[in-house]
Amino acid sequence: MSAEAEQSTDHGHGLPPASSVKRWLVTTNHKDVGILYTVTALFFLVFGGVLALLMRIQLWTPGEGFLAAVSYNQAVSAHGLIMIFWFLSPFAFGFANYVVPLQIGARDLAFPRLNALSYWLYLFSGILFGVSFFQGGTFAGGWTMYAPLNIPVYTPNIGASTAVLALVLFVASVTVSSVNFLTSMHRMRAEGMTLRRMPLFSWTILLTVWMMLFAFAALLAALLILSSDRLLGTQYFAATDAGGSLLWAHLFWFFGHPEVYIVFFPALGVMAETFQTFTGRRIVGRKWFIAAMVLVALQSFVVWMHHMFLTSINLQIKTLFMATTIGISLPFDLMVFALIYTLIKGRVRFTTPFLFSFGALVLFIIGGITGVFLGAVVLDYEFRGTYWVVAHFHYVMVGGVTALFGGLYYWFPKMTGKMYDEFLGKVHFALYFVGFNLLYFPMFLAWETPRRDFVYPEAFVSLHQLSTVGGFILGASFLVMFYNLSKSLLVGEEAGDNPWAYSVTTEWALPSPPPLENFPGRPTFETGMLEFRRGPGGTERSGVEAADGGEPTADGGEPSTDGGAAYVAEIEAESGHDEDHASPWPFAIGLASFVALLGFSGLQQGGFPTGLSGGFYAGLTGGGLVLLGWTLVRLARERFNGPVGPFGESWPFENVENTKLGVWLFLASDVVLFGAFIGSYVFIRVAHGWTDWHDLIPEAHVVLPGLINTYLLLTSSFAVVLALVAAERESRWGLVASLGLTFALGVAFLVNKALEWLHLFDLHGGAFAGGWLPSTNVASSTFYLTTGLHGLHVIAGLFISLYLIARAWGGAYLDDERPVEYFGLYWHFVDIVWLFLFPLFYIL
Amino acid sequence: MSSGVGASVPVGVLVESVGIPAQSGGGLVPRGSRVEVFQQIFEVFLVLGTLVGVVVVGYMTYNAYKYRDRDDRGDADDGIDAPRVGELPTGSGGGRKLFYSFGLSTILVVSLILWTYGTLLYVEQDPPGDAEEDLEVEVVGYRFGWDFVYPNGHTSETLRVPEGETVHLEVTSDDVFHTFGVPELRVKTDAIPGQRTSTWFVANETGSYEVRCFELCGAGHSYMTADVEVVEPRTFESWYADTSNESETANESNSSARPPEEVVG
Repeated sequence: MSAEAEQSTDHGHGLPPASSVKRWLVTTNHKDVGILYTVTALFFLVFGGVLALLMRIQLWTPGEGFLAAVSYNQAVSAHGLIMIFWFLSPFAFGFANYVVPLQIGARDLAFPRLNALSYWLYLFSGILFGVSFFQGGTFAGGWTMYAPLNIPVYTPNIGASTAVLALVLFVASVTVSSVNFLTSMHRMRAEGMTLRRMPLFSWTILLTVWMMLFAFAALLAALLILSSDRLLGTQYFAATDAGGSLLWAHLFWFFGHPEVYIVFFPALGVMAETFQTFTGRRIVGRKWFIAAMVLVALQSFVVWMHHMFLTSINLQIKTLFMATTIGISLPFDLMVFALIYTLIKGRVRFTTPFLFSFGALVLFIIGGITGVFLGAVVLDYEFRGTYWVVAHFHYVMVGGVTALFGGLYYWFPKMTGKMYDEFLGKVHFALYFVGFNLLYFPMFLAWETPRRDFVYPEAFVSLHQLSTVGGFILGASFLVMFYNLSKSLLVGEEAGDNPWAYSVTTEWALPSPPPLENFPGRPTFETGMLEFRRGPGGTERSGVEAADGGEPTADGGEPSTDGGAAYVAEIEAESGHDEDHASPWPFAIGLASFVALLGFSGLQQGGFPTGLSGGFYAGLTGGGLVLLGWTLVRLARERFNGPVGPFGESWPFENVENTKLGVWLFLASDVVLFGAFIGSYVFIRVAHGWTDWHDLIPEAHVVLPGLINTYLLLTSSFAVVLALVAAERESRWGLVASLGLTFALGVAFLVNKALEWLHLFDLHGGAFAGGWLPSTNVASSTFYLTTGLHGLHVIAGLFISLYLIARAWGGAYLDDERPVEYFGLYWHFVDIVWLFLFPLFYIL
Repeated sequence: MSSGVGASVPVGVLVESVGIPAQSGGGLVPRGSRVEVFQQIFEVFLVLGTLVGVVVVGYMTYNAYKYRDRDDRGDADDGIDAPRVGELPTGSGGGRKLFYSFGLSTILVVSLILWTYGTLLYVEQDPPGDAEEDLEVEVVGYRFGWDFVYPNGHTSETLRVPEGETVHLEVTSDDVFHTFGVPELRVKTDAIPGQRTSTWFVANETGSYEVRCFELCGAGHSYMTADVEVVEPRTFESWYADTSNESETANESNSSARPPEEVVG
């Protein structure tokens, strides 16, 4: 097909054809982004897998040999981080991106450019992590990054800092993505697609992104504090007398346990979909299945201390967390039984996707049973830090991954229009399943091996050798998969719209692959069955033909160009413009963030080292920040039309417009971020002694600057309200003046803060002869970092207000004051945070 | 029904399993040295876990095979209620069976955990022996080794303890997060800088055992070991008496260098 012809099937959305590299750099379409996620995640699977094989080679015999000790620790740490962050969730989100909008009946996600931005931040964070290997070695303190091993005293290499910054960038990607998915899934469902009736895969993604929104905010807090300790020299985790070591464990596991379900839920969703499709039965106890998942999602935030049973937490807390842990395991029993009972009286077809899902359930059952062992605290005491834990969580997590590979085979025909080779798919499964069990089951038998050790008792040599053999079989099985999928992509049979009998969800009613606008008409479930409507009032209707049992139809792979074109014309007529699917700025912002963070990694004790390398890092930082600012402005200035309403089902946010909901969701995650910072401060202060704390603070730290700043910020909040009123009254100069006042008050806040800080830095004599610097003690660290984070929010707000002023000068916002309103929400939030910080850091 | 089979078997084993600790002393709740306690509970879990795993996986495999799609299958309901593309997702019935299975698994898991909770209370609060007379040793982890500080101030890199007596350990770290563990004696606790954790053990046989670190702590993590020497009580007494003479002079500075820290938890 020539480029022009292909472009014509894309209805001229300004998107280059799929064969051009440029298309993949500028696309914002959810299906393209889904494919990008999937392919990139598979790359990181290979990356993390090779590291695992290096470890398995090392463990062939007990003792050092193949890898040096430090290299082994790096392999252990990087393997864990890459697999958990850069492979597991992104792989699932490849499917989520591709399938969820189709399943819920949305033409795209709510913010297509932010979706592309999530992808590019993800990719560049992964590249940044890769770079860390070449900066004196990457982080070598385990994926749990326990303090204080994670501070430069013990892990001084620049690469370790880069790895932490790569995680920060990854969290940014996740946060943007969570906000986007939550807005889309809550606001943009087709008529009749109520939350209760959403397909189970979409349900698992919805709950996953809710958990992500809050859990990753806690991780972000932990990572920002760690970055500050590493780069600016603050003392949080070095302050072992004040519980810095435990603080990290609390922050990390508050994120870490929900993370287990964040990576497992999408796999559960794939299992539910494939079990239903390939048994030809609807799931048993559907509403209880959903209720169980909601319960797990909520409860996942109150089990984290079961990772800390051997720390100094007391018996009462242990008992409480033992109870919540057992409590959270029970809903999974229900889900497992629901899946098993769905088999009964079905017509079970052992296709590759089903085999992987079935295998995943077997592995998950084994993982679950061995998890009950860990739930018994007395046993946990002995399993802590051993291969029992390693084997258990690999059975659970890689068990989940097994289902995701089922998902890859399940949706491959939809994503590519081509059918994979069924025989090779089954060979892949056989090798995979044998390799998996050969790799991980001997670990249960050799459980007394200490985790992350390469020296282990001689008695376990043969078990570890079995594991190594299994690891290589597991690795080899993927060669079969890559061969199968790439060959099928090139010369595979046409898959048709719906290669699976008894599939139900909307994606199977569409061409493979679906056209850019997804549907041949406005999708609706109003009558209980999917229909596509066109024409005024939806007069023209087309239903969905019944599944024909998997016979690929002759023209199944081709999008129905006519129907699509008519629908696109209608969307254009309704909203007054065509929908856009291309923007170069998400990629550019990702690149800029990468450069800036690479520059930051060279920071030590708040400054760049002198000499060539210091200058190099300083240059990268400066250049990256300038580039970032410029690309952000260009993104904001770009005309881009995303999907607009009216949407079918928007419960419970019918009256909250998409952008507003996005802002609220972002602020919700920001609440957790500040909550974690404030919690860390309280934790450290209590551990140090609440009143003794005053000995760490100089007399010169007085209430007055804080009080002045409180007045300044409160006044600026009123100024924003005035701006909104002016915009509503269409008073251009009133708007400019009140935004200008907001800006001026914000600048005054920062100037006052700068004067205060400079004064404290520059103290002489007394207890703080060298000045009260961020690195002086825990009190100064918490003060500068927490109020500094708030200050950064103020600075970001000032940049936004500058942008608003420039636009308002030109007469913008008079007919549509919503941007001013949303800026106001953010600004009020920043003020409210200050109202918490002021008493905590100036009065108490 | 097959779930009924699953029901009766685990409950039967549960009842039987409660008998195992009863025979080995201490009534329903396993007591004794940490090795004994762990072994009893672990065995019960292993037997039950294997059984439940085999039953559940066997049951699902059996059903997947039994209801496999074949050409010669003539189901009465074929084609009447088959799922169709474009329908809104709904569920099938069978909720009652689901709840029976769920209830059964809940009873099994909760009773197992409650049973071990009794032992947890015993392990945490009521170690055997008279706490007043027991030996208490402070353990300090550092990169990459262990220091053992006796009440008289004697510091050693080997933990020498009397056979058959309860030894209390107060564990902390000088630098990063470590975990102190002696696998063969089933004693383990985190060694956290700035915090103190306590644990205890009884060694019932003389001999030499190995202390290892169970939390990644740096390049030497795999080599962070120390020896535990379990000796006859009389040998221990005479050895300890010797160290107290020497400690008054040589180790005085060493013991006073480490000020007593506040016990947390």
